[in-house]
Amino acid sequence: MNPSDILLLDGGMGTMLQAAGLPLGELPEVWNLTHPEAVTAVHRRYTEAGSRVLYTNTFGANRFKAARCGHPVSELIAAGVRCARQAAGPGTKIALDIGPLGQLLEPLGSLRFEEACDCFREMLLAGEAAGADLVIFETMSDLYEIKAAVLAAKENTRLPVWATMTFEKTGRTFVGVTVPAMALTLEGLGVDAMGFNCSLGPGELLPLVDELQRWTSLPLILKPNAGLPDPVTGEFKIGPEDFAAAMLPALRRGVRILGGCCGTTPDFIAALNRTLSDNSSAARPARTRSGVCSASRVAPFGGVRVIGERINPTGKKRFQQALREGDIDYIVQRAIEQQDAGADILDINVGLPGIDEPGMMTKTVKAVQAVVDLPLQIDSSDPLAIEAGLRAVNGRAIVNSVNGSDEVLDAVLPLCKKYGAAVVGLCLDGNGIPQTWQERVNIARHILDKALQYGLKKQDVLIDCLTLTVSAQQEQARETLRAVRCVSEELGLHTVLGVSNISFGLPARENVTVNFLIQAMGAGLDFPIVNPNQRAIMDAVASFRALSGEDRDCEGYIRRFAGAASAPAPAAEPGEMTLAEAIWRGLRHETAVLTGRALETRSELEVVNELLIPALDRVGDGYEKQTLFLPQLINAANAACEGFEIIKRRISERGAESVSKGKIVLATVRGDIHDIGKNIVRVVLENYGYTVIDLGRDVPPETVVEAAVREDAKLVGLSALMTTTVSSMAETVQALRRSGHACKIMVGGAVLTPEYARQIGADYYARDAKQGADIAKQVLG
Amino acid sequence: MLERIPGIDRSEALRYLRIRLGAVPPELEGAFSRCEAELTETARPRTVWRLFDREADGRLAGTRFLPAGESIRRHLSGCEQVVLMAATLGSEAESLLRRAQSRSMGDALILDALGSAAIEAVCDQLCAEIAQELSPRRLTARFSPGYGDLPLDQQRELFAVLDVTRRIGVSLSESALMLPQKSVTALIGVRAPQSSYTTGREQP
Repeated sequence: MNPSDILLLDGGMGTMLQAAGLPLGELPEVWNLTHPEAVTAVHRRYTEAGSRVLYTNTFGANRFKAARCGHPVSELIAAGVRCARQAAGPGTKIALDIGPLGQLLEPLGSLRFEEACDCFREMLLAGEAAGADLVIFETMSDLYEIKAAVLAAKENTRLPVWATMTFEKTGRTFVGVTVPAMALTLEGLGVDAMGFNCSLGPGELLPLVDELQRWTSLPLILKPNAGLPDPVTGEFKIGPEDFAAAMLPALRRGVRILGGCCGTTPDFIAALNRTLSDNSSAARPARTRSGVCSASRVAPFGGVRVIGERINPTGKKRFQQALREGDIDYIVQRAIEQQDAGADILDINVGLPGIDEPGMMTKTVKAVQAVVDLPLQIDSSDPLAIEAGLRAVNGRAIVNSVNGSDEVLDAVLPLCKKYGAAVVGLCLDGNGIPQTWQERVNIARHILDKALQYGLKKQDVLIDCLTLTVSAQQEQARETLRAVRCVSEELGLHTVLGVSNISFGLPARENVTVNFLIQAMGAGLDFPIVNPNQRAIMDAVASFRALSGEDRDCEGYIRRFAGAASAPAPAAEPGEMTLAEAIWRGLRHETAVLTGRALETRSELEVVNELLIPALDRVGDGYEKQTLFLPQLINAANAACEGFEIIKRRISERGAESVSKGKIVLATVRGDIHDIGKNIVRVVLENYGYTVIDLGRDVPPETVVEAAVREDAKLVGLSALMTTTVSSMAETVQALRRSGHACKIMVGGAVLTPEYARQIGADYYARDAKQGADIAKQVLG
Repeated sequence: MLERIPGIDRSEALRYLRIRLGAVPPELEGAFSRCEAELTETARPRTVWRLFDREADGRLAGTRFLPAGESIRRHLSGCEQVVLMAATLGSEAESLLRRAQSRSMGDALILDALGSAAIEAVCDQLCAEIAQELSPRRLTARFSPGYGDLPLDQQRELFAVLDVTRRIGVSLSESALMLPQKSVTALIGVRAPQSSYTTGREQP
């Protein structure tokens, strides 16, 4: 697109078709086949009004909606492109219009990312084959969904890609995506233009346009609604002339692709056309910001950004055990801890000999971003694992890492380009780690050159000058600091350092680590990779930010330390309390301390059987007698969990087998998405010492059977909340019986009764989590 | 238009938790207050509604949506118009509820009950606004797909007619369940002020 070009888009389609007789609520795409002349007539009116780009009437022509109208996706789309083409003037572009799938993606919904990619692929192939000139993904509110869409377009077609999302006045989409997160992610994925459509009127979108300009240099698209419809009359509030006038400030800000969405008609586009021809577009202000992001949170570059290092099995036996056992919850807890401690970005490393690293990477990234909204750093030396991580990330990530050897650069940089990631470059190559700062800077230069060749931007290359252990190679600390200063000042690149390694082998390591960290930040380090749970480290970062001016008016510093002197000691000693009392009251810290103490005189198994389980039983009795309520039962179970965690760590340090009282498979059945009940049962069962294989929600019968057989689980628990999904519970029970796998089945959920449970062939009905635990005891001991 | 939850009825939340006491038990007071504050701070309720005339066969004018079953027919008898409404606590609250499950299941349970009470409060407030807008006409109580013999499957038609997903960001799963979970859709009958019908319990 020529920089001075202004492209006029079209206006609303749905409202026009409704005026032509399409009943409200019917799928407008069906008219491409049943009333093609009516669809073409609308397109023609837009062409006459001056539109140079026509959006096809294919917004909802995806497999979910197509299934209900009885026409295949490919036919709806081919007919849609045909209708637009027939109305096109010379030079008119046909944009294949694709809206959201209408199914919410994981983690909030149950549509998997790869399935979403596949839905879009199907539509894209049909559109390209039918002769569309480009694709527009519009009205999107989920960043993960639009990422799936853009990837599908890039991987399967040659169509130029435009993307617009729908925002609310708050500056966020319905699912919390921010404007910078959209800009960073979409530009990273290589779209050709981006912007906003639908939801608000032109005036309300202007502040968002300003924000978007700061984060991307791509051409911007603006296709707002004619305000909101009146609920009584269904009429939209803004007229054609007012709409065109309200679009003018956007043109003056350099937006050059303009049109209208819901409620706009050919009259609006004609008015807009007159306004555009009377006025010229201004130059775009340059992009000023960069960063990495999750869907809802950005870590802007420029200033110190702490990368949390705790999701990494190196040297951590308990973490390795969690990886081997697929204990994602343990990993997720490490993510939550680090976010609470103030990390800005989380490093994810799941490399361990003997595990499927790409598979584990996908699982971990999805689990972590479901609970924590920090941007992620994908840490692996295996390109397959790196790609798995980059694909699964919702947002824009950092890759950790490449080094100066071409073999690595050629394998990993194309992935960074494809997924739009920033990259960490280590200052070493095939010859090992250079001993002088000059040689390290030379490697940094080489990495930068290669990255630019592969199309990365300079600001997205982060250099790691490498921390060596000061007790072993004392002179190297200064070399590292000089290299950091040079890379940051002369090459003008961001720098990363794994800081903790400096103090390895020394007593009172924290002194040396913090001192080195401060010196490194003084030399220009802006991405320290550290353990944010160490208070002294985060204190040093907070102080540095205040001194560097990054922390405006020392607000962050004051927030962190004001009142700190008068605050009570965070972890009080449990005193004379018994372990049973601590659990009864749901006190996690005290339970952990008292479990540790009990282990001084008893074996792990004794503590479990003589203290933890009886304490939980007492809680269960209290619950039955209504002297204690469900939230307290759960809190008690969680407290007991801390005790079990101490025991697990003890056992894994000894390298022994973990204690489990048996395996239980749990699932919320197909069609049902309400899983809080099942999750409560899981927590309680785990804290009674059972190993729970939690299959999640919306789980098909065959997956339950497969897991029960694979894990040889003697007990399967099924949950369904809705009357409508109890039938798929019955199917699951039947499938388990048919498989011949010998197991007991317990069922529960709001609408179930003991009679109904018997009727569908379950062995047990569990009224609540407590009963679930009683049943487990009966079946598994 | 609502921007925050208008207030949560604690006794309603206790009912969802099956705690049969008049007030929050003292041991849970701290957790209740904390969760209430967090939910109120986080949730961004959104609502949409539209008024339709009813055709002679019960169809909503300008659509093919014909609410099925005896119970809705009775509920709407004597109503010349129908309001379709949808309300949600929003994805912010949904995320809060899900994330709470990884942090503290006890809190998650309380949040869930408070969320159910909160969406009721949002619906009540919306209905009050609609009643005011349509005054002096009178409104029946809310009637949702899945109640009585009004099929849950008709949720799909209601969603399409009211454009719920695009307007307030609620999506419908293949099994016709709503996400965010704390969402409500309903039909409300609208009667002329002088109408003598008394079925379809009216709003206070």
